Amino acid sequence: MGTEHTTRKDRELWQGLAASPALPDAPVSDLDFAGWLEGRLPEAVAARVEAAVAADPELRRAALELADVLGTPLPVAPARLAVRAKALVGFEVERHSARAGLFSRLFPRNRGFALQRAVTLAAAILIAGGGFMLGGGLGESMAQERYAMTASQVSSTTDASNDLTDLSTVDGI
Amino acid sequence: MTELNQVDLRMLAAGNKRAWDQFVTLAAPLINAVVRRALASYRLSEEDVMDAAQDVFVRLCAGDFRLLKTYDPGRASLSTWLAVVARSAAIDHARRRRRATTPLDDVPEASLGVEDRHVEKLRIPEGLLTDRQMLVLKCLYDEEKDVAEVARLLKIDAQTVRSTHHKALLRLRAHFQVES
Repeated sequence: MGTEHTTRKDRELWQGLAASPALPDAPVSDLDFAGWLEGRLPEAVAARVEAAVAADPELRRAALELADVLGTPLPVAPARLAVRAKALVGFEVERHSARAGLFSRLFPRNRGFALQRAVTLAAAILIAGGGFMLGGGLGESMAQERYAMTASQVSSTTDASNDLTDLSTVDGI
Repeated sequence: MTELNQVDLRMLAAGNKRAWDQFVTLAAPLINAVVRRALASYRLSEEDVMDAAQDVFVRLCAGDFRLLKTYDPGRASLSTWLAVVARSAAIDHARRRRRATTPLDDVPEASLGVEDRHVEKLRIPEGLLTDRQMLVLKCLYDEEKDVAEVARLLKIDAQTVRSTHHKALLRLRAHFQVES
């Protein structure tokens, strides 16, 4: 009873008073507000934010609501909220890729799997180079081709002269 | 929320899809709760509330994650900062919708109420109460919160709230008794 009587009197006292209008101050940033809610701000900054919260009903309401939400277990969010939100980044990333040039696509910046691509490219170069060297290389390949051509020309000439020799032998010349 | 505060922000801000999906999974319950609480008095449909919550994620990734890149883990935890951002975004969203679609006749009169200027109120001199005392009194009387809620907001114990309240009222009574 005594407490209620005191509370009613206190309320009547307060309702008969008006706080002096607060002087406009720099707006409180989201980070400062969050830091103040957590009690992490340096004293001077905390005092400034607290003064702003005391003077601004909207900021005060925000502080009370957020303190309540952050201090209680969170309900499960509707599944489609997460589905819709996840779709935002994939779409954005693909749109940026479509506008990129050939060089940017081959050597993209800030992309995942860059290391894997580099390793794959190096392996491809090694395999191609190794295979080429095993085959003898370009110079040797051309030499072989020339030799093959020369050999086939010589063998066709020899065959022709053999045929002529055979003919002359048959004719007794 | 501990897991949310451990998200890889570098990968997130770089637009990594996997990091973003993980972030959304962890942040959705918080953003959903904050938005619903902020918009409770606006009487919006479920679709509008969902749109407001989606708008928070849009703001976070818009402009190559410009807003997310302003976050500084040295000054506040990610969960608290996200809650602040989500609330601001939700209120902005609701005000845009209200401005766009709600006729004046549909707004409750209580929202349009103005202060009764026939009652002359005594003005509290500046400096009579500390900011902390003023905040406690406003939370208790103007916002009609209880001691426990104010204690949670100010990260102090309930007894300190009562003590601050008591000292503030003593100052007020002493000052206005002297005045009268």
